[in-house]
Amino acid sequence: MYTYLKKIVLLFIVSPFLLADSITTINIWHQMLYENRKVLRDVCDKYEKNNPEININLTYRETEELRSSYQAAAMGGSGPELIYGPSDQVGPFSVMGIIQPLDKLFSKKYFNQFVENAVVRSMGKVWMVGDVVGNHLMLIYNKDLVRYPPKNTNELIRIGKELTLDINGNGKIDQYGLVWNFTEPFFYVPWLGGFGEWLLTENETPNLNTKGNKKGFRFIKSLRDEHKIIPKECDYEIANAMFKTGRAAMIINGDWSWGDYQGVVDFGIARIPKVSETGLWPSPLVSTKGYSINANIKGSQLDQTIKLMKHLTSEEIQLYFTTKLNSQPSSKDALNSSIVKNNKLLKESSHIIEVGRPMPIIPEMRAIWDALRDQYQAVLGGTVSAQDAAKKAQENALKQIKVMNEKIEPGIQGNIIKIIIFALIFGLIFIIGKQVPDFISDYKKNKIAYIFFAPALLAIAAVIIFPFVYNIVISLSNYSLRTFNDWDIIGLYHYIKVFGDSNFYLVLIKTFIWTALNIIFHVSIGIFLAVLINQTLPAKPIIRTLLIIPWAIPQYIAALSWRGMFNQEYGAINIALVKYFNLPAVEWLSQPFEAFTACILTNIWLGFPFMMVIALGGLQSIPQDLYEAARVDGANRWQQFKSITLPLLKPVMLPAIVLGTVWTFNNINVMWLVSNGGEPSNQTHILVSFVYKAAFNLYRYGYAAALSMIIFLILFGLVSYFIKRTRATEGVY
Amino acid sequence: MKGAQVEKIVLFLFLSIFSIATIYPVLNIISVSMRTDNAFHTRSLSIIQYEEPFTDTNNNNLFDDGESFIDKNKNGKWDSGSSLKSYFELFLETDFLLWVKNSIIVSFIVTITGVVFASTAGYALSRYKFKGREFGMTALLTTQMFPATMLLLPFFILLSYFGLINSYIGLVVIYSSTALPFCIWQMKGYYDTIPPSIEESARLDGCTRFQAFYKIILPLSSPALVITSLFSFMASWSEYVVAAIILQDPKMYTLPLGLKSFQASLSTQWGMYAAAAVVVSIPVAILFVSLSRFLVSGLTMGSVKQ
Repeated sequence: MYTYLKKIVLLFIVSPFLLADSITTINIWHQMLYENRKVLRDVCDKYEKNNPEININLTYRETEELRSSYQAAAMGGSGPELIYGPSDQVGPFSVMGIIQPLDKLFSKKYFNQFVENAVVRSMGKVWMVGDVVGNHLMLIYNKDLVRYPPKNTNELIRIGKELTLDINGNGKIDQYGLVWNFTEPFFYVPWLGGFGEWLLTENETPNLNTKGNKKGFRFIKSLRDEHKIIPKECDYEIANAMFKTGRAAMIINGDWSWGDYQGVVDFGIARIPKVSETGLWPSPLVSTKGYSINANIKGSQLDQTIKLMKHLTSEEIQLYFTTKLNSQPSSKDALNSSIVKNNKLLKESSHIIEVGRPMPIIPEMRAIWDALRDQYQAVLGGTVSAQDAAKKAQENALKQIKVMNEKIEPGIQGNIIKIIIFALIFGLIFIIGKQVPDFISDYKKNKIAYIFFAPALLAIAAVIIFPFVYNIVISLSNYSLRTFNDWDIIGLYHYIKVFGDSNFYLVLIKTFIWTALNIIFHVSIGIFLAVLINQTLPAKPIIRTLLIIPWAIPQYIAALSWRGMFNQEYGAINIALVKYFNLPAVEWLSQPFEAFTACILTNIWLGFPFMMVIALGGLQSIPQDLYEAARVDGANRWQQFKSITLPLLKPVMLPAIVLGTVWTFNNINVMWLVSNGGEPSNQTHILVSFVYKAAFNLYRYGYAAALSMIIFLILFGLVSYFIKRTRATEGVY
Repeated sequence: MKGAQVEKIVLFLFLSIFSIATIYPVLNIISVSMRTDNAFHTRSLSIIQYEEPFTDTNNNNLFDDGESFIDKNKNGKWDSGSSLKSYFELFLETDFLLWVKNSIIVSFIVTITGVVFASTAGYALSRYKFKGREFGMTALLTTQMFPATMLLLPFFILLSYFGLINSYIGLVVIYSSTALPFCIWQMKGYYDTIPPSIEESARLDGCTRFQAFYKIILPLSSPALVITSLFSFMASWSEYVVAAIILQDPKMYTLPLGLKSFQASLSTQWGMYAAAAVVVSIPVAILFVSLSRFLVSGLTMGSVKQ
């Protein structure tokens, strides 16, 4: 057995090196949609066939993850040769210096092949070459329900009203005139253009406190509340599902969705209707997607990469993509070919692109999106007037941008901190050194204990010590977007900042509530069920298995399923509430308190099976004769439970409770997925999701590390106190 | 005895209803996996949607009872029926089986290491008062307190320094060390419920300390071993975040990575994603069922004179 295991282990070490040597491997990380990936693989297979010395690895990552994992990899000095993604990732990547400028690597003639949009420039240099142009929003309509798409908003409202129907007369709308992911700013900004304004000024600063923005806010709200042609709660998936099942006549969606609708709905596309009041067309954001080259790539590897990139962006390959997937090419020659000219969808699509605006690629866009999202959702939630929201959005955007671009120079404090750190390290070594003799003498006494415990502790220490120290160092540094390659220790700046932020305390309280409620329900439901199914019952194995299913299903999909169940109109929970309990429908996801409750409910469901299994195990250690003796003494069930079951479960349950507290405190998954990243208006957060949103979103690594250290210290204090109170580390005997 | 019968029936009914409520969200996922239109949401409480034939005598694209329908292929049946299409696609057109294999290998190794290290370390913590014990226990717990998102970058730097990116070793080491603290604590808690007198009598019968642990205590602890192995297994079976930074070659993907590759912002393959999620949870259920007969301990207080 041992040698066998060794072999397996060896195999794992060696296997990555078995390939390679004379063959050059080029890695491409991309975020292509499912169908596109197949075509890309196809194209790369052919390339490998023609160039036997090349091997191409394709790795898919979802857009946000692509960005963060590429940053991590490039910082670590590795990463793929080519990265494929939307043009707005060029902003942060070029500022961080993790992709290389392409001007010197390619000829002018090469760049001239493409439409202007597709050659992505920033800070005077070219960083990306796009192979498709588009990603723009449009009105997509179900031809079975809508004969001619509305030309302007008055028509939209009229047609929308006609098609918003309660077909079976039960007082509930069965079909909506229009649906879309309207709470997300990306899906809102085309209207800004329609009301004669734009997100950014000409100097690329935020431009949110405008008349057009206020009108836009009011307009969307009126579609929902006054004209009632769009549903109350509607995220992307709901909108998509409704349109596909014929429950919505029109949807505002992007060109990426065509493939999804083909064969399901007979659809047509059109510009988003002209705003009747201004006579202007709404302007969807148009962006390109393309390839950039990793800054770490040099020499012959770079030559091969350039060659491959030229091939992948060539006219031939672009047209291949167009025939397979209706993508809009970026090569001028490809655009003039008959394949594109005869494609009806593309013809209409380029008509739509004419009124579009290029997607800004400055890294500050993140801050602007965040500020806009917050206030826009607050308007829709009815807590702020459009007037105040526009003003607030502008203020917040400016504030966030300032924070994001902040570059703190290391001063005297940094040097003092450095000296203190060294002093601490020496002190620590000294203390440990002093303890060594004690350990040696103790080792002779408790040999087995050391042999048993040491391997586990060492393994854990090896993995955790470096990250811990790394985190402390980063938390004391000015590591951020602008200091990506030359950060330095600056001192306690970020810690002071965290404690001075009133939001921090609010989120802290929410985190305590979240943790306490979850643990209380997990443990009580867990023990309750364990005691029940520990008795002899028919079909016990089946019930037992069914009850652990929530633990078995992957958290991320379970959380998404619950999000669907919380939908105001179509979610199972409201349907059940209204139908069987005659209660009013609850707006689970668009009100802060309800959204927080929804997250807690989901997590309770996810967490109780674990506690149940632990309790089931613990119950086995309780000797039956104790109960018999208690019965003889005349104790009733509750007394038996209280004085036998609970105390004897304690040693088994306490570790689970302690660790459960820690995990729940730091559980970002459920919070993030159910509330879709903190919606509404960033109010549904616990500390970890707050770190993620507030800091990583704006590339504030130093701040994030400091906040994480604070989270760690809070938890540490909490748990130490708990252990002391319950004496969890001590046994019953 | 009549009262006990009634009580049992009430109990059974209660548990059945609770179980159904518990698995409803999972049924929801199953329902999505069997839809043909790749959408994530339904608007009714029903799970299976029949391809019901419809009547539409006046040709207004509405069922005659008022509901609207879609019938793209004009076969006289409503299109949004249920099918196993996603499952077929999952097994035949993707590397799903490869991911299953990878995941089984990784989870198996993590489970073995988890059980071996945790059963021994837990025993040391439960039975010996050695120097550094308190510190060790707190240190174990402390490792769980970092927000996972903060660990990713240092993990990546550490592993790429040792050349362990794109290898299962890196993954196994991290998984084991994240699962171990809980496993050790759990084992220790269970050992604490076993009276030390059991070993003492074993040692009087001539066992060494190690034999007393191996032959007497370990078999008595089968419920805790089951929980420990189940936990270690789960820790690696459905973990995504760490795997995503370590494994970059699609041929080496574990299940969660493969599963997530069906997801894209604004364009997810819901059918396959849900189907894969359902299939992923089956081994866990099987594992639990097959392990649960060991959930009964041989511990009887009567065998030891207190």
